[in-house]
Amino acid sequence: MRHRLLHSFGWIVVGLNCLRLPAAVTPPPDADRHWSFQALRDTKPPAVSNPGWCRNEIDRFVLSRLEAAGIPAPPAADARTMLRRLHLDLVGVPPTFDEVLAFQSEWARDPDVAVGRAADRLLSDPRHGERWGRHWLDLARYSDTKGYVYAREESRFVHAFAYRDWVVEALNRDLPYDHFIQLQIAADQLVPAGSPDLAAMGFLTLGRRFLGVTHDIIDDRIDVVCRTTLGLTVSCARCHDHKYDPIPTSDYYSLYGVFAASADRTVPLGECDDAELAKRIKAYVEGHEKRRAEAEQRLATRVGDYLRAQLSLKDYPEEGFDQILTDADIIPHSVRRWRDWLARPGRVQSRLFGPWLAVAALGVPDGEGFDAAAREAMKAGSASGGVHGWITEALKAPLRGKGDVAAAYGKVFREAHERRDATNASPELAELVAFLRDPLAPARIPDGDLVTIEYYLPTSVTEELGKLQGDIDRRRIDLGLPMAVASTDKPDITLPRVFRRGSPSQPGAEVPRQFLAVLSGKDRVPFTRGSGRLELARAITDPSNGLASRTIVNRVWQHHFGTGLVPTTSDLGLRADRPSHPELLEWLAGRFVADGRSLKALHRLIVCSASYRAAGVGGHAQDPDRRLLSAFPRQRLSFEALRDSMLAASGELETRMGGKTQPLLDAASRRRTLYAFVDRQFLPGVLRTFDFANPDLHVPVRHETTVPQQGLFFLNGPFAAQRARALAERTRSMAPAERVQALHRALFQRSATGAEVSLAMRFVAAAESAEPTGPSAVAWKPGAWSQGVGEVDVAAGVVRGFKPLPRFTGTAWQGAEAWPGGDSGWARLTAEGGHPGNTRAHAVVRRWTAPADLRVTVEGTLRHEVTEGDGVRGFVLAPRLGIVTSNTVHKASVEMKAGPLDVRAGEWIDFVVDIRDVLNSDQFLWAPTVVAGGRRWDAGGEFGGPPPADDRLRPWEQYAQVLLLSNEMAFAD
Amino acid sequence: MGLGAMSLGLLDASLAPARAAGPGGSPLAGRAPHFRPRARRVVHFFLNGGPSHVDTFDPKPALARHAGRVLPAGNLRTERKTGAAFPSPFAFRRRGQSGLEISDAFERTATHADDIAVIRSMHAQVPNHEPSLMLMNCGDNVQVRPSFGAWTLYGLGTENANLPGFVALCPGGMPIKDAENWQSAFLPGVFQGTFVDPQHRELSKLIEHIRSPHAATSVQRRQLDLLHELNAAHAAARGNDPRLEARIESFELAFRMQLEATDAFDLSREPAHVRAAYGDTVHGRQTLIARRLLERGVRVVQLWHGAGQPWDHHDNIEGNLRKHAGEIDGPMATFIADLKQRGLFEDTLILCGGEFGRTPTVELGDSGKSKLGRDHNHYGFSVWLAGGGVRGGTAHGATDEFGFKAEVHPTSVHDLHATMLHLLGLDHERLTFRHAGRDFRLTDVSGEVVRAVLA
Repeated sequence: MRHRLLHSFGWIVVGLNCLRLPAAVTPPPDADRHWSFQALRDTKPPAVSNPGWCRNEIDRFVLSRLEAAGIPAPPAADARTMLRRLHLDLVGVPPTFDEVLAFQSEWARDPDVAVGRAADRLLSDPRHGERWGRHWLDLARYSDTKGYVYAREESRFVHAFAYRDWVVEALNRDLPYDHFIQLQIAADQLVPAGSPDLAAMGFLTLGRRFLGVTHDIIDDRIDVVCRTTLGLTVSCARCHDHKYDPIPTSDYYSLYGVFAASADRTVPLGECDDAELAKRIKAYVEGHEKRRAEAEQRLATRVGDYLRAQLSLKDYPEEGFDQILTDADIIPHSVRRWRDWLARPGRVQSRLFGPWLAVAALGVPDGEGFDAAAREAMKAGSASGGVHGWITEALKAPLRGKGDVAAAYGKVFREAHERRDATNASPELAELVAFLRDPLAPARIPDGDLVTIEYYLPTSVTEELGKLQGDIDRRRIDLGLPMAVASTDKPDITLPRVFRRGSPSQPGAEVPRQFLAVLSGKDRVPFTRGSGRLELARAITDPSNGLASRTIVNRVWQHHFGTGLVPTTSDLGLRADRPSHPELLEWLAGRFVADGRSLKALHRLIVCSASYRAAGVGGHAQDPDRRLLSAFPRQRLSFEALRDSMLAASGELETRMGGKTQPLLDAASRRRTLYAFVDRQFLPGVLRTFDFANPDLHVPVRHETTVPQQGLFFLNGPFAAQRARALAERTRSMAPAERVQALHRALFQRSATGAEVSLAMRFVAAAESAEPTGPSAVAWKPGAWSQGVGEVDVAAGVVRGFKPLPRFTGTAWQGAEAWPGGDSGWARLTAEGGHPGNTRAHAVVRRWTAPADLRVTVEGTLRHEVTEGDGVRGFVLAPRLGIVTSNTVHKASVEMKAGPLDVRAGEWIDFVVDIRDVLNSDQFLWAPTVVAGGRRWDAGGEFGGPPPADDRLRPWEQYAQVLLLSNEMAFAD
Repeated sequence: MGLGAMSLGLLDASLAPARAAGPGGSPLAGRAPHFRPRARRVVHFFLNGGPSHVDTFDPKPALARHAGRVLPAGNLRTERKTGAAFPSPFAFRRRGQSGLEISDAFERTATHADDIAVIRSMHAQVPNHEPSLMLMNCGDNVQVRPSFGAWTLYGLGTENANLPGFVALCPGGMPIKDAENWQSAFLPGVFQGTFVDPQHRELSKLIEHIRSPHAATSVQRRQLDLLHELNAAHAAARGNDPRLEARIESFELAFRMQLEATDAFDLSREPAHVRAAYGDTVHGRQTLIARRLLERGVRVVQLWHGAGQPWDHHDNIEGNLRKHAGEIDGPMATFIADLKQRGLFEDTLILCGGEFGRTPTVELGDSGKSKLGRDHNHYGFSVWLAGGGVRGGTAHGATDEFGFKAEVHPTSVHDLHATMLHLLGLDHERLTFRHAGRDFRLTDVSGEVVRAVLA
């Protein structure tokens, strides 16, 4: 099947019709001998019968398969097609018509030289990093936001754009692939503090936050690292051994341990002397220190409670079960920290908590007989170093149950806490205080960003600190400061345990932190340095690891040809299809390593091959999906490439690189789509319908669907219409035939055929004859009413500083998009009434403008309905007469009648409401009416929005839009 | 039709509507289910926030006997602290022939009691909205998984390519967790629910890009004719490429969608008495829109009560629940009657419920004082089903004496999903999608069809 959609839908057939997997599927016994897990084989390009067609070694592999299938070598694409293909592929926008002309003359001299030079030029073009960086961001599940967060937290990441820009820049400087990977996994251990390369770690830290559930955050990181770099679906081994690949659950938890031993830390990547930012940071640091000290004091004085909680751990369910906690509550997170700490062997554990551990394990019920059993157990369990004297002393009293033991501990530590600052402390006191002060002990809260410690704090404190942290984040984002969120090694690293069936409440055996068995050979050794992240990165990129090289080479192939040599580019395990060209994949991967893992060298090799330069039309019946490359597989442009191409064609594409993001669908945005704000929580529907990579997931291959919503976006949305207008404007002074040519050259980099010119002429002529005649056909008839704010000058009897309200919501006029908002705050007018602005200077004004010289009366009732506040003042002001009626209402209604009044054409009558003296509950109802003879102007009935802009596309714009929508624009041959 | 029909191609023709899949295979083309379905479309009334079961569909007279006293077995841990037993302020009555007990909060819906199957033994996993919304909608608390609607659309396609196949209506804005509730996750984006805020009355605000601000229909027709000619010439020079054909077709579909959507959302085309029966309220209108969408072949419609979480009745449950139930009781009852009249009831599956239930004990404020409301309760709650293939007048499973915890036939959300897919003719174990090396399904590794609620 040719394209990706059908590929993925191949699954529905299986899914719906057959195959129910046997209950227990396990990998075959020789699974570790699967081809992709082996060292790279040294393969040689095969002999072919038509070596003249070949341009480099790749072609011998490709041609050999074609010849074996009896398919002739495909002809080469023409020069224009070739240059368009190269441009869209390597830099993501088409060439200009002039570039095509220049290329054609080079091509006429020597096509090989022409292609080689074009490849060099495009690979050194900074737009290359923008194009290929996006491919990488698909894998890295890049997003500018965290996903769903509670209201207290800023939802935007501070470090997203710095990661995006780092990727672009790393690809542009052709950072060797092994370094590229190592920095993304362990930059903290490879570069000095403050290095811009720390931004690389966004790869790990830009995932969803999963409501703070650590196990899922780690799972996401294992998944993104292993699928991206190894083409292995290690996450499948979270709950049980992998069903297809030789990845036991213990290997999953070995990697889990690596990430569990790492903590995220936000670091600035440059100096900033912004005083406001410094102020906000100070506010957070002070608040944080105070609250943390309070929380730690509670932990120190309630040791007994936390020990007692160990007896009913099921009452403190794992993360994801959130309770609203006050400072009187036992903190479940600390209960679990106690649990883990107590489970760890150590001198302090046995000297201080040996008796507790012995008693806690006891199966004897409380009451009669408990004391004896407890003493027996404590004696048996007492360590060689002895038990701390205070504790021994405290446990001398009769023990009726485990609660008494916990209480005795509580008392000891309370006392130690109270005397913690004593001068001349005895060694025994010092020992207890040392425990309470040990940053790794459970009586403390670990160090780290708020997101990593928030669950150790009462809910109200988390909210308070979250707001302060949000203030910092927002300032940093507004200033566009480059930031990194780096993974760093934790100080207290423990061995991970296997979670049986993936459940953290069922911990199993401990496992070392180490690399996957299947890729480690016989002499696998556990990681020894800190979390082991750097060792993991080095194991992945070790030259002996053929899988990593195959994976990246296969990905690069996928983006050049549309499908990988192995189509499932993030799964090269046992379930993957065999490569279409197994020998070629080996050879390419070997060549890649030999070339110093230069991605640019790999691109150049591929795009200069005859295989890549094949014509896109033709093909062979025996190669329907073109996997054998009997013709170049036609590519549909991604949403980014299509949008960027349209902007490029209309001459509007902005070339500025990097920095802060911009809303994608902002009509003013002319930047490359790469710089669009990717909000994983509110991803515009347009992006989803265009198969944009889901920013929640590692996406190796985008879906390719064709649905009407895509058509509607270009047909009815403003984007294509704006490009059409720009194109028509650029060609406005040209004669019609010349104009058609110019448009074809701008969009398709070729001249129009005679048939296309005459089609265009017919279309434009028909469109012009259908144009409404004269401007009146769409002219909007202005209404008599307008809405604004101003201040009543009671002495002068006029409204001063009248300003129209700028925003119309569909039901109300107001000062800004949000209400209240803008200078006028609460000012708002609706069909029925409204609300005055925040001060008397922002009274709301309905203004009726006389269409002719008239004698009128005014009618209407001003009503204020609530008790709160002091009510409102209402005025009617007429030209030359000043205030003709005014009233103050508070929880009452009053008639606002006046007249007859003489007004001249163009003069106005104002109907004004202000807040009286205080801004409080000033909403009112008042829809006045102006009557003149048999005519009435009703402010409610005639209430409406602004005049519609004349957005109609003119004939040439309509034509240009059609060209933008055409298949020639959306596909590359 | 017997078991022999359980393979592709033997189903009666009406079940697999002839749908021009279009060249290239539209992902929305109608597809045959695994076996003969009992329902062809789904509507889900989502009472977001967590409706109290003990005040609506799960009568607990024991609460009155223990009123104001601590429950004998103590309270289960929920998000906030709760106190003594809190009897329902709503009266329960036996309804219809079946005698199914439903409280007065839903007295109009209760007139259809004999069509309703209440599952009184639902349970979720944690007492927090966000994970529970994800579980109810997507089958997992926190992982990124496709929603029920997206799976259904993937399995069955749509019966009307001119409308979105899965529509989520939520008046006033987004519910908690936003569009994640109807996400397609690793399934193609086209299966995601289309969000519509029915508070708007203008079509252009209901569906993105549905109207052109810059070209009249006649102008667009002329444009599309030209586009067709250009594309035809382009395709002819390139042999037969289904992807080119598919894109050509998609513009024609887009053109028709503009007209069809206008029609579907335009309630002024309904007779006055129908509009009056639903009520000229936002819930009346959105329920009527739902019927118009369903009868036009939209596969899944989700009706959210409103932005945020209106059913989160932490305090004054009597007033708040009465208000919110009152807003939807009439429209829901009318909807059921209307479907029956139109012959749509028999093959429309209706689900009504929230993400969890509420505690039978009273919620306590900071000072320990009663708030006359109830906290979240994931240990036990009720949902009800009606319509195609559902055994009406049934109460399945039970919570404990007080309504805290599901005790008899505990039913997980996976079980509910399995049951709903079953009614749609889909085997939840066979509706799979390969992603990240695994064949994923809505019900993950569990889910049992609840046979007791099947007719």
